[in-house]
Amino acid sequence: MENAIIAVAAAFSIGVTAIATSLAQRAIGSAGVGAMAEKPELVGSIIILVAIPETLVILGFAVAAIMLMGQ
Amino acid sequence: MIVKMSRVEIIGLKKYLERIIPLLHTSGYLQIDDIREIPDVVIQPFTPTVGMQEEREEINLLIANINGLFETFSVYHNETNNTDARADDFTFYSIKNNVADITAQVQYYNARKKTLQDELISHSKYIEMLNIISPFLPESSKKSGNATIRALIHSSQARAMTLLANQLKLLTHGKFEMISAKVGEETNAIIGIFPLELVSQVDGFMKNEKVTQLTLPEEYTYLSTDEALQHIKKKVELNHEELDKIDESMQRMAAKWMPLLKIWQLICKDKLDENEAYLKIGETEFTFTIFGWIPKDDLKTLEDVLRKEFSKEVSLNEIDVPKELQSRIPVKTINPKAIEPYEHFVKMRAIPSYGDIDPSELIAVFMPIFFGLMVGDVGYGIVIMIAALLLGKKVKKGLLADIMRFLRIGSIWTIVFGVLYGEYFGTLGEKLGIMPLWLSRSEPESMFTLLIMAIAVGVAHIMFGLLIGAWNAWIHKAQNKLLERIGFFVGILGILFLVGSLTSYLPGGFTILGWGVLAIGLITLAISMGKSGIFLGPIEFVGLIGSIFSYLRIAALGLASVYLAKVANELGGMIPSVVGGVLIAVLIHALNIVMAVISPTIQALRLQYVEFFQRFYKGGHSPFQPFKKRVYTKVEL
Repeated sequence: MENAIIAVAAAFSIGVTAIATSLAQRAIGSAGVGAMAEKPELVGSIIILVAIPETLVILGFAVAAIMLMGQ
Repeated sequence: MIVKMSRVEIIGLKKYLERIIPLLHTSGYLQIDDIREIPDVVIQPFTPTVGMQEEREEINLLIANINGLFETFSVYHNETNNTDARADDFTFYSIKNNVADITAQVQYYNARKKTLQDELISHSKYIEMLNIISPFLPESSKKSGNATIRALIHSSQARAMTLLANQLKLLTHGKFEMISAKVGEETNAIIGIFPLELVSQVDGFMKNEKVTQLTLPEEYTYLSTDEALQHIKKKVELNHEELDKIDESMQRMAAKWMPLLKIWQLICKDKLDENEAYLKIGETEFTFTIFGWIPKDDLKTLEDVLRKEFSKEVSLNEIDVPKELQSRIPVKTINPKAIEPYEHFVKMRAIPSYGDIDPSELIAVFMPIFFGLMVGDVGYGIVIMIAALLLGKKVKKGLLADIMRFLRIGSIWTIVFGVLYGEYFGTLGEKLGIMPLWLSRSEPESMFTLLIMAIAVGVAHIMFGLLIGAWNAWIHKAQNKLLERIGFFVGILGILFLVGSLTSYLPGGFTILGWGVLAIGLITLAISMGKSGIFLGPIEFVGLIGSIFSYLRIAALGLASVYLAKVANELGGMIPSVVGGVLIAVLIHALNIVMAVISPTIQALRLQYVEFFQRFYKGGHSPFQPFKKRVYTKVEL
């Protein structure tokens, strides 16, 4: 039972952060593509902006990994 | 590597101006600085003559015409660079005349095409309506000497048409025959036949009664319906043939002129650049002054060129760069061919600042290693290398070509780390008895080592970035930046001591030392940020720790890749048929390889852009754009 709860918690940890990341990337990505259409030279800055929220899911992964390793 | 630049001024008598501008343009060493944008310059900007302004307008118009022709021809022909023509074969006037001739021809063809297409639209409508009416035509309509009126009316008007037919019979003394047929749910076709000599009377009557006839073009008016139908069909056929001939002619013209148009466009742009260069220079009553930037290594060559051409009548002097122009020094980078793709990646982020370190060589080392760390599979590495080599032969320029060149090196590291992880198309190697040299990522107990490895890579990468940043700050005498970067570096060192001693990798005494070093780091950081540093310093330090954790993506992507490969092998093994099993495994591996190319490339680049560059790279200078001809030609206006 305890293992199941840990597994669900780990799934939530990575799942919720993945959703949060995707929501942020959706907004940044669509705005970024719009900006890039006007100024193609912004591609570098836009990659950065799109990539920034990914830290969320990486931290979610770290938390999930720690929970699973602690079993 | 960032090339050293010199600021120069060229001074000479105005009578040489018309010779020096083309000479500078052809030599292509100098970037002319616009005198109107240089602060505190007392020299007047050059005033262009009316002739120069007219010339500029003329060139702009010609470029617009060439662009228009290019757009028209691109519909008929794919652009090609193959041409035997040399730029020297053309003068501005020959280009202008040629463009005028081609434009006239294209305009004629376009107008003719429009006419034919309009005719086709109207003729197809006639054919449609005549086809409806044709089956109901009586024999009398085909006799010569008879004329026909045709109309399509709404069913509700049928009664009114009968009354109208009676009146027409009276008008023609009984020589009018009318047939009405239902041709649609609510549409009736009305056909009236009468002697040809009564045409004007019948037409006049129909107009008075406001009955809309199906009027054919003038040339078919006096033909019977069948004859008119045949003639119209023939005309449609001829129109199609003529349209095909026009398209063929346009295709031939496009194939012939497009390569030349491209050269002409460049020649005109060069001419325009030359015209606009005058606006950037300064003048006094008898002299001109040109300010500009030149790579230090080219300074001597330009001096020799000017001396040879003008003896001592025109002087080139290297001058100091004023403080207010430091931020405007254009940046030129030179790197070995192998580094070029990474130079483009750096420029995608921002052009380096003059005097900074060009990070192209650094990311040329780190990016492929990070890619290899993430993908880490011998089989995948070989597939990616073959794909990159094949695609690289086809794509020679642009972002895709740069990525292919990066993947060639990245795939080597993928193979190296694949051997260390013991991955050959995922777990296939293990099944064949090939064991990992370091750790197996598919084993759950390896996860901790993998995470530690990712964080260790992050710590090393960021600390290296901080050292470069500190060096940069030292060179530029930026005291606060230097303190900030040292503070970060020392703080991380303190954290490393603490973690080492708490996990018993280091002796217990390192705990106190760790706290001490961390405190020194934080204090240094706080000092570098001024009064608000006491709050901002720790916040920034936490941000830095977050950046280090960001490197966990190396482990995360690697795990996702290896588990998908494992799924491919196990799912393939579960299929009873060998062929089916192999097919399933190949499909999933193919998907995994595509994902393994896209995601780790972006993530490897992102780690350089966001985590690494942030420690030392500012960028933001403009690129060095020498006043240089696009094509070498003699263009006389």
